Amino acid sequence: MTDGTIITLISLGVTLLFMLGTPVFLVIGYWVIGMSFVLELSLDNIGAALSDVFTDGFALLAMPLFILTGDLINRSGIARRLSDFAYACLGWLRGGLGMAALGACGLFAAISGSNSATTATIGSMLHPEMVKGGYDERFSAATAAAGGTVGIIIPPSIIFIVYGFLLNLPISELFVAGIIPGTMMVLSMMVTCWIICTINGWGYLIPLSPLRVFKTGLGAWLGFFAIGLVLWGIYTGKFSPTEAAGVTVGFCVLVGFVCLAINKLTGHEEDEKLENRSMAEMLVVKGFGPLELPAITMRSSQITGILAPLIAVSVVMQQILSVMGAQQIIGDFVTSMGGYYAILFTAMGIVFICGMVLESLPVTIILAPILAPIAHSVGVEPVQFAVIFLVGASIGFITPPYGLNLYVASGVTGVPYFRLLRYTWPYLIALISVWIIVALVPSLSTVLLPKY
Amino acid sequence: MPEIIAGMGEIFAAFLEGDSFVIRSALRQPAAWPVGLIAMMCGGLAFYFLYRFVPWLDKRIESTVMVTSYLMIGGIIFVEVIRRFTFGVQAPWSTTIPPFLFLIMTWVGCSYNVKLRTHLAFAEFRTIMPRKAQFAALSMDAILWLGFAWVVIVTSSRLVANSASNFHIMLGTDNVLQWWFLISLPIAFMMLAGRVIENWLEDLRNLKSGETLIKQAVIGAD
Repeated sequence: MTDGTIITLISLGVTLLFMLGTPVFLVIGYWVIGMSFVLELSLDNIGAALSDVFTDGFALLAMPLFILTGDLINRSGIARRLSDFAYACLGWLRGGLGMAALGACGLFAAISGSNSATTATIGSMLHPEMVKGGYDERFSAATAAAGGTVGIIIPPSIIFIVYGFLLNLPISELFVAGIIPGTMMVLSMMVTCWIICTINGWGYLIPLSPLRVFKTGLGAWLGFFAIGLVLWGIYTGKFSPTEAAGVTVGFCVLVGFVCLAINKLTGHEEDEKLENRSMAEMLVVKGFGPLELPAITMRSSQITGILAPLIAVSVVMQQILSVMGAQQIIGDFVTSMGGYYAILFTAMGIVFICGMVLESLPVTIILAPILAPIAHSVGVEPVQFAVIFLVGASIGFITPPYGLNLYVASGVTGVPYFRLLRYTWPYLIALISVWIIVALVPSLSTVLLPKY
Repeated sequence: MPEIIAGMGEIFAAFLEGDSFVIRSALRQPAAWPVGLIAMMCGGLAFYFLYRFVPWLDKRIESTVMVTSYLMIGGIIFVEVIRRFTFGVQAPWSTTIPPFLFLIMTWVGCSYNVKLRTHLAFAEFRTIMPRKAQFAALSMDAILWLGFAWVVIVTSSRLVANSASNFHIMLGTDNVLQWWFLISLPIAFMMLAGRVIENWLEDLRNLKSGETLIKQAVIGAD
């Protein structure tokens, strides 16, 4: 039997394992072991890589810290205030609560860097209100799933960190490059939401009240401060992305402790109606106590315990793909497509198809090192390609069969996976349209980059 | 075969001697694989019995390690950035120790997710399979986890021995050795093996009692 046949058999075998529900970590891990035997590579590489991925650098540390930030702003009540503000701004439009959910996803994403955290937080917070407000539950769940996609495009972003780590690109520049495309994604989904709700007559309208907007905006000041802190630190170079994540974690912990103490002293309760709260009360969020911190951290560490091992094993997989010359094969295929646009759109097609069956992390780890140099060779700026690639990867979060956000939204809303797909496709069309525009207009990704 | 047995003897002798250089040389032999298999099974069973007879460990061992490492990472980075801004000083180890704490958190977290069965998987087909097929799939997962743990325990132990024998010092410190942290990798996979054994025995009980075999796993639940 030739090596090619054995490699094909191993690849088919692990695909079968994947279809049978074996964890993706093991699927990749056994592919790596199988290939190591075929290519006569030492298995010692596995043990070394599983530790070196974490110990060789500081950049990847931003990932767990931004995951923790997401949980901290959720538990402290900052996320609630951000969604109240979004609703006050958009509630006067048909579908205002749905649009507020999308706006809240954008704001939440600007502090946290995780798609699943965004979907889970906003979905669990606003889904019951949307259903009460007359929205179809499938639409509500689909909105949370779609809104979560911006979690990895609006900075900070876990996947941008991984991408920058793999391709040795400045993570702070990647973050800045994601601002305009991420905002466009949110706006396009809002328009989609408005159209669907107008057609179906969903949602109650609340009058646009400047006082309410001001009051909720004031209530969300800690969220805006955290967003400003992250962006200022990274944009001005005061912190590295990892340090920005650490500072945000520290800020959220302090806010949680101080606000809880203030609430206890003043006897203020977070459940009071907005109208009954004074401006001074709006300045303080719910907060949390030191004893709650381990439980909050536990949730974040569980998510990290899923994602980080996947990154580690995918890095070994990527190394083996390099040894096999897979990059050359895919590279030749993409290059054979022709010029700038043909290569760009072929690469996008590959990302989209892989995003349908794989989680965005393995898609990024496997494909980015292959496609990025090819795109660069035909004149696509590395930072622009990173944004194009990752917008495509983020769309993969809502493409069946393996759309992570769809599973998360289904889990937090209780809407069965297949029922929720009914209202996912309009958002998919909106996001793909933005994706194509981002690919065709490079300045959308590069205009905010610092000029040296 | 006699070579393997002799090699195993050498590895055990090297561990008894306690010299990291001798251990490193001994672990380079192919006999490290059967020794690793024995170590994984013994370690896994030891953790399984610990989980079973000490309920606190079953409930808290991974979470305590994970939360402590996580908070230390966040605390070190936050405090040192503030110190840099306010006093213009920063501990040199503040950028080298957190990645090693991340290593510990990751692999202990991996074991914890095995316990909760929350590792990402495409479970759509598995959930509609007949019960016996579901049990076969779960058993296959258990074997695959143990196999992978075996590979990691052997290869990472070589890494630990190599680091110890070369006296790799944590950058920014005077006397903190890297292997103190690296050894968490084989230990975490032994903990993982214990969880795999625990889960498989639970699946077997569920199969016999008619309980649901595959339940919806929820991230963040315990």
